Amino acid sequence: MAFVEIDGLIKRYGTLSIFEGFDLNMGSTDRLVLIGPSGCGKSTLLRCMMGLEDIAGGTIRLGDDDYIDGAPNGKMKLNRQVQKEVGMVFQHYTLFPHLSVLGNLCLAPVRSRGIKKSEARDKALGLLERFGLADRANFYPSQLSGGQKQRVAIARALMLDPKLMLFDEVTSALDPELVVEVENTMMELAEAGMPMMIVTHDMHFARNIATQVVFQERGKVIEAAPPKDLFGNPQQDRTRDFLRNVLHIEG
Amino acid sequence: MNYEFNWFYVKKALPQLMDGLMVTLQLTLWANIIGLVLGFIVAIGMLSKIRMIVWPLTAYIEFFRCTPALIQLVWFFFCVPILFNVWWSAEFMGMLALGLNLAAFNAEAYRAAIQAIPHAHTDASTALGLNVLQRIIYVILPQALILALPVLITNGIGIFQQSALVALISVQDLMYEGRYIATQTFRPIETLTTVALIYFAVSFPVSQAVTLVERRTKRLLAS
Ligand SMILES: Nc1ncnc2c1ncn2[C@@H]1O[C@H](COP(=O)(O)OP(=O)(O)O)[C@@H](O)[C@H]1O
Ligand SMILES: [Mg+2]
Repeated sequence: MAFVEIDGLIKRYGTLSIFEGFDLNMGSTDRLVLIGPSGCGKSTLLRCMMGLEDIAGGTIRLGDDDYIDGAPNGKMKLNRQVQKEVGMVFQHYTLFPHLSVLGNLCLAPVRSRGIKKSEARDKALGLLERFGLADRANFYPSQLSGGQKQRVAIARALMLDPKLMLFDEVTSALDPELVVEVENTMMELAEAGMPMMIVTHDMHFARNIATQVVFQERGKVIEAAPPKDLFGNPQQDRTRDFLRNVLHIEG
Repeated sequence: MNYEFNWFYVKKALPQLMDGLMVTLQLTLWANIIGLVLGFIVAIGMLSKIRMIVWPLTAYIEFFRCTPALIQLVWFFFCVPILFNVWWSAEFMGMLALGLNLAAFNAEAYRAAIQAIPHAHTDASTALGLNVLQRIIYVILPQALILALPVLITNGIGIFQQSALVALISVQDLMYEGRYIATQTFRPIETLTTVALIYFAVSFPVSQAVTLVERRTKRLLAS
């Protein structure tokens, strides 16, 4: 049985239909990289996975549990226990600016999980140490570079021991020279065996980190394959067109 | 102009002016306490989106924002006792009118600040497993308060200046004492200039501080 099982997902924004029966599976050692033209629903898919979107139909399972059971008219069922096992990092505004780095890391564990302050603190310092951010513990987000902010956001998600991590274009807003440090942090996480779903425009990074690349277009998976196959020998015309375009732009 | 300045009487009356200043400061303090607390409650009510709550609050805010503070004050002093058969002191009425006026303005400051917090923080909070209440208490409100702080201080110092109006309902504040001494001594220029300088001496440092606070909050919340 797959680790993540998306079955018949239906997602609409008002009358705008994004998914009408979308299926996708992911194994527990997989790192899926989602690629596809802008506006094809990559962010929406991750937001559905995080339980941030109301879905009109279909089911999502995670591990052994029923996670989301879509239904029309806001009757979707969401298992909050499972939601807590998913972590997500966004493109923008990821950190809470009124809290220090340490405050950002400890907020959810202390306030929502009831973990002792001292315990959370030790864990936070451990994570910051691991990511080479120990000297930034008492800084405020406004005092960090964009790359550091995103790495802190990753550490903050890890504080809650997620079973699955979602990354939505976490390097897209960064200056080019800051992209690598964030990608390295994600690579480290990958090597530690964290299952991930990643949306990125960086095809080089996608090739390095993915176990499986999923090309989606107009609410459907067009092609899914390991990176060397999908990039080296795409089977579908649309995949080829898309890759030609993005690789051409990248130069 | 060959006016001969004479500061003798003003010097002599300085303790009396200081007594007036104390009354003014007390009024300002209480009006600010009302304005900060009530304004916050009103802002939360406005954001509740419950029509039964929003309507009366909107009426209250717009009434106080769209009528002169002077008429509000005089209305409280003359009309409230007759309408509600309560006979409170002029000081108390002054405090109430100024406090309600300030609360209306502060409510708008709080509301605008709460609405200015990026929606992305809601998603980030949910992704971290915070529930609605935790999100409001630990994520939205602290940021909103920081964001609103400069406006709240500006409004607060504004009410310090507006409080001079209470002299007209015979509260013995700084303005009242100033006018009294000016008439008694036939020295309006010296006396009223001194009174103006006292108002200035209190307001100016605070308004300077606002600039500083604003710069710091802007920097902190930039993301
Ligand atoms: N909250 C929303 N309300 C209405 N339409 C939305 C909303 N979010 C996204 N969309 C639309 O849904 C489509 C898919 O968006 P998105 O998932 O962000 O695409 P991608 O991340 O692949 O670029 C786009 O056409 C976008 O305009
Ligand atoms: Mg997107």
